[in-house]
Amino acid sequence: MSDDLRTIYKGRLLAVKDLPTLPTALQEVSRLLELPNTTTDQVAKVISVDQVLAAKVLKMVNSPIYGFPGRIGTVKHALVLLGFNVIRGLIISTSVYDDMNRAMRGLWDHSVGCSLACGELARALGMKDPEEYAVAGLLHDLGKVVSALQLPEAKARVDAVVQEQDLPYIDAETQVLGFGHDRINAWLAEHWNLPPAIREGMAFHHKPMSARIYPQMACVVHVGNFMARLFEYGSGGDDNVPQLSPHALKLLGMNQSALEALLDTLCEKFADAGELGFA
Amino acid sequence: MPASGTRGIGRIIERIIGRSMERVMSTRPLGFGDAAAVGVPRCWLVTADGCLTATVRALWAADGDPEGQRTASSRPMDWRVFDNGRAVLEQFFLDPPDLLLVSAALPDMSGVSLIQLVKGENVYRQVATLLALNAPDVAGVDWQGVEVDDFMVLPAAPVSAEGAGCMPLPPPLSTELAARIELALTRAGRALDASPLTKLPGNTSIIKFIQGLIDRRMDFALAYADLDNFKAFNDKYGFSRGDEVLMLTARLIATTAREVRGQPAFVGHVGGDDFVFVTPVDEAEDACRRVVGAFDAIVPGFYDADDRERGAIVAHDRQGQVRTFPLMAVSIAVVCNRPGDGLSLAHYGEASYRASQVKKLAKDRTGSCYVFDRRQA
Repeated sequence: MSDDLRTIYKGRLLAVKDLPTLPTALQEVSRLLELPNTTTDQVAKVISVDQVLAAKVLKMVNSPIYGFPGRIGTVKHALVLLGFNVIRGLIISTSVYDDMNRAMRGLWDHSVGCSLACGELARALGMKDPEEYAVAGLLHDLGKVVSALQLPEAKARVDAVVQEQDLPYIDAETQVLGFGHDRINAWLAEHWNLPPAIREGMAFHHKPMSARIYPQMACVVHVGNFMARLFEYGSGGDDNVPQLSPHALKLLGMNQSALEALLDTLCEKFADAGELGFA
Repeated sequence: MPASGTRGIGRIIERIIGRSMERVMSTRPLGFGDAAAVGVPRCWLVTADGCLTATVRALWAADGDPEGQRTASSRPMDWRVFDNGRAVLEQFFLDPPDLLLVSAALPDMSGVSLIQLVKGENVYRQVATLLALNAPDVAGVDWQGVEVDDFMVLPAAPVSAEGAGCMPLPPPLSTELAARIELALTRAGRALDASPLTKLPGNTSIIKFIQGLIDRRMDFALAYADLDNFKAFNDKYGFSRGDEVLMLTARLIATTAREVRGQPAFVGHVGGDDFVFVTPVDEAEDACRRVVGAFDAIVPGFYDADDRERGAIVAHDRQGQVRTFPLMAVSIAVVCNRPGDGLSLAHYGEASYRASQVKKLAKDRTGSCYVFDRRQA
């Protein structure tokens, strides 16, 4: 494809404003903000299962106006720094998908599944800030959400290619657009000043060994994505389970038994989350 | 401002030598309005326009007419009137007022040059200045060059001697004048000492706020926060990333203090890595705990990965020795004012002295912490 077309696409993607979300978490946050004794932790827990709300909060706190762009990587820290006043404003200004609701639901659940898996994996590996890994997992398919909104005609063609050729979503994206949602993720993360670790997790979860600064983050999101697909938790837009990179497992120091232990933990976690109504 | 000291000294000097000075000077400034009590803004009017003088007098003269026109929104002010520019300057430099309202046309100089003279000195920049002029003159003013805070367009006045037969301006204009004066005073108070980095109120506002609470015998907890190992961080990563940490600290304290229940609530930036915040006594410990907890959780993200992993910066000190500096921490010293329980601070200076004593205890500990002034508890 021509560079010109790519530049045009990039411009349209980054011009995204007022990213809508699904009603579930939004309504719950609104409800919590009405109560007098709501804590930051309570609100953070709800926002952490909605990729769009989480992205908005992180984009806001990392914007240059607050003076520390690219430094805040967890929803909880973002909420502590923004304060309920700003959160309230953000919630009021967020609109809700209506007709696309059903189509998007699978993608929302998939992002929650990946987030859960990344958080668990980071904890099991003894990482210092597992919350940040969970955030990278939550946002790993945000590029799909943004392209569906900003390039709706391309989205329809991608869906058709997935159906007709039984291709993974990212391959169909590359066929139609010339680039995948991993590239869109990199643009968005850069544009929104998200922390470098989160950016690399979002941008390299399909090619974890290409991450330059935080390969561990990219590998965790890679494995987390695989797990969510394996458990068929939500839908990433196609029915394939992606290839699990042996290099990623090796980089994380995971052997067969570590992988099995993770599978067992996630079995329980996913069952619990399902009961909470997120799946 | 009231408690900063300079005004007090100025007034003492004025009290000692003022009378003889006035005798020497040809024009004795005319005083009216509320005599300078604590917190009453001191305003000077410099004009030869009798109508303007009459208007200000009608708006703020407390003694003359009890049914006076003082508008509902206007508060007491202590006014002095000068009919020429030179008379103002010496007194101004000795003991500046809070506000200067100057007519563009004065007998001995232009109002604009008077304002330039006064505002050119950085120590007098806090004085709010208003320029009163006639409509045709508005176009002739270099608005970017003159450091005036606001202006007021008045009808062309007949130049009359000593304001004989001058009537006060009628309500729409007089109300506007009162509003502009009030706004200029308020704006000067809130904007000037704010930290350019964090936009939080600076020292003058902090002292004014705390002294106000002490004077009104209110209960409050005053917390002084500063950062440990900030210098080592600045030295290694540079001022720009150091500023990021200051912005983080400011934001953290500001959101925490804002979400505290009840009054008083206040946050100020003393300078550098020193901050203060005020909360109700009962809320202080919870606020400190939240600031400390969040700071420790967030600050590692401001270091590069290797330092974060190590939990420290390794650097050479001035003697060339290798030294280890732990990650930055916030330490908070808290002093309480509870006049009802016999625990009252005499003045702001005592609060800051006690806080510095308590701070020594906080500094003996490693990591983030908060310490309360136990002599009070």
